[in-house]
Amino acid sequence: MHYPEAITRLIESYSKLPGIGPKTAERLAFYVANKMKEEDVLNFAKSLVAVKRELMTCPICGNITDKNPCNICRDQSRDRSVIAVVEDNKDLIAMEKMKEYRGLYHVLNGVISPINGIGPQDINIKDLLERLKDEEVSEVILATNTTIEGESTAMYIAKLLDKTDIKVTRIARGLPVGGGLEYADEVTLLKALEGRRELK
Amino acid sequence: MEIKQLKITNFRNYEQLDISFDKKVNIFIGHNAHGKTTLLESIYLLAISKSHKTYKDKALIRFKEAYSKVSAELKKDDTFLKLDIIISNQGKKVLINDVEKRKISEYIGVFNVVMFAPEDLEIVKGEPTNRRRFLDIEIGQISSIYIYHLTQYNKLLKQRNEYLKQLQQVKKIDYAYLDTLTEQLAQHGTEITKKRIDFIKTLTIYAKKLHQHISNFEEDLMIQYLSNYRLKHVNFENVFRLYKDHYQKDIEKRVTQLGIQRDDIRFMVNGIDVSDFGSQGQQRTTALAIKLSLIDFIKEETKHYPIVLLDDVLSELDDIRQTQLLDCIKDKVQTFVTTTNISGIKSDLIEKADLFCIKKFHIYKKEGEQDGE
Ligand SMILES: Nc1ncnc2c1ncn2[C@@H]1O[C@H](COP(=O)(O)OP(=O)(O)OP(=O)(O)O)[C@@H](O)[C@H]1O
Ligand SMILES: [Mg+2]
Ligand SMILES: [Zn+2]
Repeated sequence: MHYPEAITRLIESYSKLPGIGPKTAERLAFYVANKMKEEDVLNFAKSLVAVKRELMTCPICGNITDKNPCNICRDQSRDRSVIAVVEDNKDLIAMEKMKEYRGLYHVLNGVISPINGIGPQDINIKDLLERLKDEEVSEVILATNTTIEGESTAMYIAKLLDKTDIKVTRIARGLPVGGGLEYADEVTLLKALEGRRELK
Repeated sequence: MEIKQLKITNFRNYEQLDISFDKKVNIFIGHNAHGKTTLLESIYLLAISKSHKTYKDKALIRFKEAYSKVSAELKKDDTFLKLDIIISNQGKKVLINDVEKRKISEYIGVFNVVMFAPEDLEIVKGEPTNRRRFLDIEIGQISSIYIYHLTQYNKLLKQRNEYLKQLQQVKKIDYAYLDTLTEQLAQHGTEITKKRIDFIKTLTIYAKKLHQHISNFEEDLMIQYLSNYRLKHVNFENVFRLYKDHYQKDIEKRVTQLGIQRDDIRFMVNGIDVSDFGSQGQQRTTALAIKLSLIDFIKEETKHYPIVLLDDVLSELDDIRQTQLLDCIKDKVQTFVTTTNISGIKSDLIEKADLFCIKKFHIYKKEGEQDGE
């Protein structure tokens, strides 16, 4: 059985989105066709085009932005000597929400993972190295996730910076704030112990 | 450690089951394919969060049903614990006292089991994978840190092997990345190896003694851990160097040559490798001694006795072996026994047991002959 051309193409488009399989794509396409108001569809289509046309990745840090360079990179009040390296925009936003970090960012747009076909050259590391050559950066904070790929990626970047004078740090992991030791599982405790710091 | 109540819903062929246990020893009698193994499997699942028979959790869901659930009320020292495990299309959920535990390290080891099954012989006779599985399950059930290292190691190994494969297509090898994967692999590999060494060392002490008793002091058991690293001193530096020395070979063969995925154990009886040269009887004695030694081992490590599950093996054991087993479980270890035929089981054991009949995935307590005591 063949669907009308327009539906088939919409299904194909939906299928290209992450996490959407053929079944879901079909359901979404028919929802648009049968249930959505024309006005809503128009707005949807406009915002799709707009994010692509009006937004870009910041050529300096890789953040998504409508200005070149992005608001963070152009903000002269931020501490230009520190760069936090994060996996993606969502992580950058999480850091910004904290309102405590005043340094700059570098968004990798992924983590190295050969089984997903992503090699070291496939994420935004080259730009980071270029940046570090020019700018006056004294510390790089590796803030990738604590997944095994996040750890590998952090360790790899640290190795690349081994011969520079730049201080390389890794965000700590361990006990949740306000949590008692007796409630922590053993692996969390182990990591907290490994990441201990000197008080005296 | 004791199971006071067990509830099962849609677990394999069981639709509903709700039984309470009063005695330490519980014997289940039933015909083939009436649900004996499945009952023990459900208890095993609660402890280990995996089946002893299959890797596929979904195989445990009763045909045509959406989910499967096993719950137990446990008595640990003087406190009661409720444990639930639910398997559905969405995956597996574990709850302790109605609170969901997302990390394995949060629920592993709530209680421990030692399962005796006909397949145990494979630990001695079978392929090295059987012995590595044995190591991983038994060390894993007392150490969630071991499980952590093992899962990290396996993920890294996959990434590294994939990267080695992809090297065929790239012009220049990125040694910084290969070093990164190797360093991480070496870190976890070192920890796993150390834990395996300790485990075998301690287990040998217990198994040796048991083996002597079972063999009437005629035989002497030695267990050797054959670490693939073959290092005198297992530490990160040495392991890392070893991997680095193998870079060329790894790149040539496009797969990681070294590691804990190639470890093995050797069982020696009177200086002879039982896996290859032992008689049937020697292999059985060895398998039994190893399994029995886990009871004291777990007690020592966790301060609690495990629950012992005997699937169809008790009536196969001769008098000496049954006596040895009784000696190990004493009156302290809760034990679940299945059999098709009760006549092969020693009367000392039957006397202190509650008897149950399993018929077509229903369980009835056998009253009557037990009432007198
Ligand atoms: N997911 C499932 N849903 C329904 N039935 C199942 C499922 N998985 C297995 N079975 C059935 O359960 C039966 C096996 O039960 P079990 O292994 O507990 O028997 P048993 O009493 O141990 O038998 P034996 O004495 O031969 O070892 C098989 O007949 C099998 O078809
Ligand atoms: Mg069976
Ligand atoms: Zn920017």
